[in-house]
Amino acid sequence: MVPVFLAQWMKEKRSPYMVLIFISISIAAALLFGSNMDIKLKIDTFRGEGVTVEEAERWIDRLNESGAFIFSLRAEEESLADVRQGRSDMAVRLLKDDYRIIAVMESTNVELVQQHMQAVYHEEFRIMAAASHAEDELEFREAMKTYMEQPPLKLQSSTSSGSELRSYDMRLQLLFGFSLFLAMLTVGFRVNAMTAEKISGIWNRVILSPLTKTEMYLGHLTYSTLIGIVQITMVFLLAKYLFGFSLGHSFGMLAMIVVLYTMTIVAMSMLFTGILRTPEQFGAIFTSIVPIMPLISGAYMPPGTITNDVLLFIGQFLPLQHALDALIGVSIYEQGWTDIYLPLAKLLLMAVIFFGVGINLVERRRL
Amino acid sequence: MLETVELSKSFKGKTVVDGVSLYLDQGESVGLLGPNGAGKSTTISMISSLLAPTHGDVLLRGKSVIKHPQDIRRVLGVVPQEIALYEELSAYENLQFFGRIYKLKKTALESKIQEVLEIVGLRERQKELIKTFSGGMKRRINIAAALLHNPQIVIMDEPTVGIDPQSRNHILDTVRYLNLEKGTTVLYTSHYMEEVEQLCKRMYIMDHGKVIASGTKEELGRILSSEDTILLQLDAYDDAFIEEIRSLDPVRQVERTDQGLKLIIAKQSRVLSSIVQSAERHSVQLINMHVHTPSLEDVFLHLTGRTLRD
Ligand SMILES: Nc1ncnc2c1ncn2[C@@H]1O[C@H](COP(=O)(O)OP(=O)(O)O)[C@@H](O)[C@H]1O
Ligand SMILES: [Mg+2]
Repeated sequence: MVPVFLAQWMKEKRSPYMVLIFISISIAAALLFGSNMDIKLKIDTFRGEGVTVEEAERWIDRLNESGAFIFSLRAEEESLADVRQGRSDMAVRLLKDDYRIIAVMESTNVELVQQHMQAVYHEEFRIMAAASHAEDELEFREAMKTYMEQPPLKLQSSTSSGSELRSYDMRLQLLFGFSLFLAMLTVGFRVNAMTAEKISGIWNRVILSPLTKTEMYLGHLTYSTLIGIVQITMVFLLAKYLFGFSLGHSFGMLAMIVVLYTMTIVAMSMLFTGILRTPEQFGAIFTSIVPIMPLISGAYMPPGTITNDVLLFIGQFLPLQHALDALIGVSIYEQGWTDIYLPLAKLLLMAVIFFGVGINLVERRRL
Repeated sequence: MLETVELSKSFKGKTVVDGVSLYLDQGESVGLLGPNGAGKSTTISMISSLLAPTHGDVLLRGKSVIKHPQDIRRVLGVVPQEIALYEELSAYENLQFFGRIYKLKKTALESKIQEVLEIVGLRERQKELIKTFSGGMKRRINIAAALLHNPQIVIMDEPTVGIDPQSRNHILDTVRYLNLEKGTTVLYTSHYMEEVEQLCKRMYIMDHGKVIASGTKEELGRILSSEDTILLQLDAYDDAFIEEIRSLDPVRQVERTDQGLKLIIAKQSRVLSSIVQSAERHSVQLINMHVHTPSLEDVFLHLTGRTLRD
């Protein structure tokens, strides 16, 4: 296994340009396209029965005072139509002293909006309740407001670990999206080096040596995995320490996601290698399919942009989708293991299936 | 030492190797000759345990290679037809890799690398990348890579295809060195008749997956026929002269040609002095006389109706 690994590494040392360029592109793209894109997510609201425009606007002002969202008032039909046709994640019906979130499916954002609204309404009701006992309601409210700026007790929409989500860091999502995508190319080409070796006859030479086939595969696949991990890790480290990206609360969890993701894309590349016969076919088809994956997963767009059922369905089968979910969950929403175990489990499952099928196809083809 | 028994291989019903039986004695240098597509490489793949035969067996000292592939892999060095090297790495790094997969230890590996580089005459170029090498130099490193583990048997699959004469001579010298100096058993595959004639005592000729002839060069020459051809270039001659030649005992056939006569005679008969005497008696000027002994090239032509390079 070691000689195979070392040979790959020596080749890499001779021409490290691909990996270096991909690292640079990942960071550059995040900086370029993500600059000042600390976006607030737009949420449509509409008036429910008996709610006046003034009342609705007062609530909207309150809701917009904090949090990662911009609420705006629209007509009911338009808002609902957008949700129904998948153009937006959710809409909010403002009721008299109450609200309903209308969403087609559960998502982190729906949950966050729910938390945020609940906190704002809760706080407002307490002020109202207190104010009803006061003589000068207006004055009380002003006093209350100043008081609330430095509250002894604070309720707000929060991420799992308790800190407030102020805005959605689009720059970080792009950094993740690009680094995961470009790692697929790097890993794919490294895995495909095996096919090239089979064609050049190097593989047969190794078969004739005392080295076992398992050692050969291990050498290649370990190398492909490591180079992928190194590439992504370099991006993360440079982004954090050179460009001041904030990667969230747990580098260890990010590392775990990256390792699992890289193993999955190694398995995926193995599957492609099994299906596509020559390195040329691999070069042509793999490099055409891979760039589509981040598009389907919505890696370059604000969350919730992709709402087409077909795309969402396909996205379920893309490692990138789950890794991206987990990375964003950990670093932006500050999720813990319990929140990200599902995407991680899906990655692991995919890795096992892709690899099993892939290696069978690769081995069968040789007979 | 090594033999194949009725070795056959079919790909999707198409038989490309058909009942090939051959053997190699220890220390022998044997040629495997045949045009492109004859099935030489496929035969080699089966001998070296890379490809399972459809029928037949390969025996190393009487033991089946198919059942015990490790046995032959230990003693065998295969020089593949293609350049099986990392183009992006240097000659040295390639040899280092192929030595390591044979689990050679550091110092042994280093001295072995220098030894095989010396054999193929590329020691001074070892730091250069394979992709900068000429075709001939690549072929030489391709051979060197198969020698690192001191194989007792070396199989070379067309090691001289499309290279410059200098490299070619170098490779032929390498084969001689391995066989004569180091006592290595060699199976040398080629579609160049001259090479096999020079290097090998014995040879097999393959065509369309079958061994169509085998033996020493002389034995194969005898297959062709029991006749030689003599071409006579004459100044002026008459029918009486022809009749006299025709009446000579070993002469089987006389034909007129542009410049004189073509005689078919019994093989290795002593007829030349009689011809000269007849010419003098009839005052026929004998300008040139050429005895044509059949070459292996002719043997192949005779057996298949095609030349090797077809
Ligand atoms: N893997 C394969 N599948 C199908 N046909 C093959 C395969 N390998 C070789 N052949 C065919 O077998 C024949 C003999 O090939 P080969 O052994 O390479 O001949 P040679 O080495 O004498 O030129 C050729 O016609 C070739 O097309
Ligand atoms: Mg061949």
